[in-house]
Amino acid sequence: MSKKSYAVLGLFDTPDALMHAIPKLRAAKLGTVEAYTPYPIHGIDEALGLRRSPLGGMVLVMGVLGALTAFGFQYWISAIDYPIITGGKSAASWEAFVPIMFEVTVLFATFTAGLGMLLLLNRLPFFGHPVLSSKAMKSITRDRYALALEAESETFDSAAAAQALEAAGAAEVEVLPAPDRSPFLTSDYILRTLGSIFVACLVAGLGIYSLIKWFPLLAPMKYMQDQPRLNAQKASTFFKDGHGMQPPVPGTVARGYLPTATGTQEAAATLVNPLPRTKEVFAQGRKVYSNRCEVCHGALANGAGSLTAAYGAKPANLQAQQFRDYPDGKIYWAVVNGKNAMPAHAAYLTEPQRWAVVHYVRALQRAQNATDEDLKVVAP
Amino acid sequence: MSQQKPTPPILLGAVALGAAGVLGTYFAAGPERFWANWVLWFVLMFTLGLGSLFIVALEHLVSAKWSVPVRRIPERLATLLLPAIPVGLIALCAVPVLYPGSRPEAAHHPILAGKAFWLSLPFFSARTVFAFVLVVIALAVLVGGSLKQDVSKDPAFNFRARKFAPAFMAIFALVITLVAFDWISGLTPEWYSDIFGVYIFAGAFLSGLAATALSLLYLQGEGRLEGVRQDHLYNLGAFLFAFTVFWSYIGFAQYMLMWYANMPDEVIYYKVRLAGAWRAITFALAALHFILPFFALVTRDAKRDPKRLRRVAILMLSAHVLDMYWLIFPALGGSPRFGWPELSFALFFLGGILLWIRGAMERGEDMPVGDPFLREGLEFRL
Ligand code: HEC
Repeated sequence: MSKKSYAVLGLFDTPDALMHAIPKLRAAKLGTVEAYTPYPIHGIDEALGLRRSPLGGMVLVMGVLGALTAFGFQYWISAIDYPIITGGKSAASWEAFVPIMFEVTVLFATFTAGLGMLLLLNRLPFFGHPVLSSKAMKSITRDRYALALEAESETFDSAAAAQALEAAGAAEVEVLPAPDRSPFLTSDYILRTLGSIFVACLVAGLGIYSLIKWFPLLAPMKYMQDQPRLNAQKASTFFKDGHGMQPPVPGTVARGYLPTATGTQEAAATLVNPLPRTKEVFAQGRKVYSNRCEVCHGALANGAGSLTAAYGAKPANLQAQQFRDYPDGKIYWAVVNGKNAMPAHAAYLTEPQRWAVVHYVRALQRAQNATDEDLKVVAP
Repeated sequence: MSQQKPTPPILLGAVALGAAGVLGTYFAAGPERFWANWVLWFVLMFTLGLGSLFIVALEHLVSAKWSVPVRRIPERLATLLLPAIPVGLIALCAVPVLYPGSRPEAAHHPILAGKAFWLSLPFFSARTVFAFVLVVIALAVLVGGSLKQDVSKDPAFNFRARKFAPAFMAIFALVITLVAFDWISGLTPEWYSDIFGVYIFAGAFLSGLAATALSLLYLQGEGRLEGVRQDHLYNLGAFLFAFTVFWSYIGFAQYMLMWYANMPDEVIYYKVRLAGAWRAITFALAALHFILPFFALVTRDAKRDPKRLRRVAILMLSAHVLDMYWLIFPALGGSPRFGWPELSFALFFLGGILLWIRGAMERGEDMPVGDPFLREGLEFRL
């Protein structure tokens, strides 16, 4: 036979015969000994000298990695990137992360086990393993036990292998030709794969759609969907007034919006700006000012905003001596409570934003009334 | 069968010393502390016995063959339920002392008054006695029948046991739930958790498995149980491994839901156990009952290494004691109590349990020699 062979297959009638043959064939060192049996045979792993599968270790590592990934991901989302308080719990509540950590651990572990076994350890995809197209295949899956001597190198001698198998007690011997190892990822193959995935999705989607549409009673479990719940902007029978959305309880204060300076403006005069005068604070104050105050008070705080006469009131000129002499607390009070035609800003600005804009107003006042002293460069 | 050896005097001494301490506890440390300890050890004996009986019934239920050679061990351990019955009957005296639902004040408590019928001493006792009767029937069918089969070699027992096993599962679920709800969560009757019975089941099964592994290794050390090999050990180890995860899954699920909902009457249970020194015990429990045994058994070799398995089994049993302590002792209020009363109870009951198990280990043959599947079980390979 001139054609290269993949392996030589020997068929045995009993598992015992197979087990006895293994040491002889391994000693002959003609090629890798591999067994094919209709059911697992105890002790065959040791007899074949199979090395311990590395799969367990891979699964452990990936499982731990899954747990860490899920933890890191959730921690980053809920404690760093977008902290939202839910149910009064701290943003970084590890308890809430555990179920997802568990699931992702299982996900990573099972995928590693499944794909690692198929792709890494079994080297799939490999279409048409030569043993599958052997004549002996039928009996291997039924009532006979096969040993294969697989070619390890170019020098594999199939005749010698066949002889060794027969000597070891094989009832029948079959030489398997080397498989066609030509690349399988051809454009035809890819197209057909994608096409079948598309068709499968289409059929499944249409099927489920029509099922739910025409046989709505068939939906398996709808307790979650049907439970009483509140939807934003929707009616609800839960509350007496029929609204799903309810105004907050009177006196409710959002986090960071604690009311201060609730007394008179005079009483607020003693309040001290708690923020330091840093670059960041001024930057924040400037942002707030240009967003919230500039339209009315103007970029220079001189009362010349871009509002037209239709507004009907004259915003204060904050550069006036009266306001330059104002204590911080009184400006703060005006921002929080508003004054006459000036609206209250308590609902729009958090506590730090309010004080930052007070600093910025002070900066604007000083900029418009700068003295020579101010030109002196202050060492940072 | 090996020769009956004389009882080691150290065990008898421990029991005698413990008994003195136990009596002393009642008078010197007060009845509350006495009964808390008593209930703790009753629950420990009962869960250990019930967990072992569950292993036996599980084998019959699924017609497992691998466990036939080791089945005699959980059968013998399950006999621990017999001494647990008088201990439990005596423990009924603890009910008016320790269980708020059975005290006269309960009549004025809006929630407890509503549950008065269920929590009252007469019905409490009736349930307990009912559970004991069920347990004795199960013992007679499963263990008694198996011991008789040693002599009769009658395979009819296997059919009977297999038919009885599903019924046993129902009995088991009922009894372990009664123990969990009446004896343990009954200490805090305003608090309840649907999954509590399952949690106790997980602990009971684990303690049964650990005691089985430990006794098996002990008997093997004496040169008995020949033919039981690493493959059988591996399966026991795998069960232990799997159920450490089950226990923590249930325990955490219970905790997390209550933590999330944050309802005062539920979360108080954990508030108490996360305050002061109890906090350290809670974390120790998580480490000893889950993290340590889980990683100790994670590899394949560990599950069949006798040395490793023995250590993990001892750890698991200690963790079960800690678990029950953690559930029962906060009922005394304040920080964890541990002193000579607890040590005396441990000496008395541990000594007693060991004495009983020593005796039980001589009951019948070491393997169910009359079971037709014994050979198949001995041939079991992974
Ligand atoms: C809708 C236009 C409008 C906006 C926006 C506005 N103001 Fe005013 N502001 C006014 C008017 C009008 C007055 C004069 C009120 C009066 O005394 O009748 C005023 C007065 C003031 C005063 C003087 C209060 C006093 O005690 O007399 C201060 C300080 C002030 N504004 C600061 C601000 C700051 C800071 C912002 C941005 C956060 C702001 N204003 C946004 C219209 C506005």
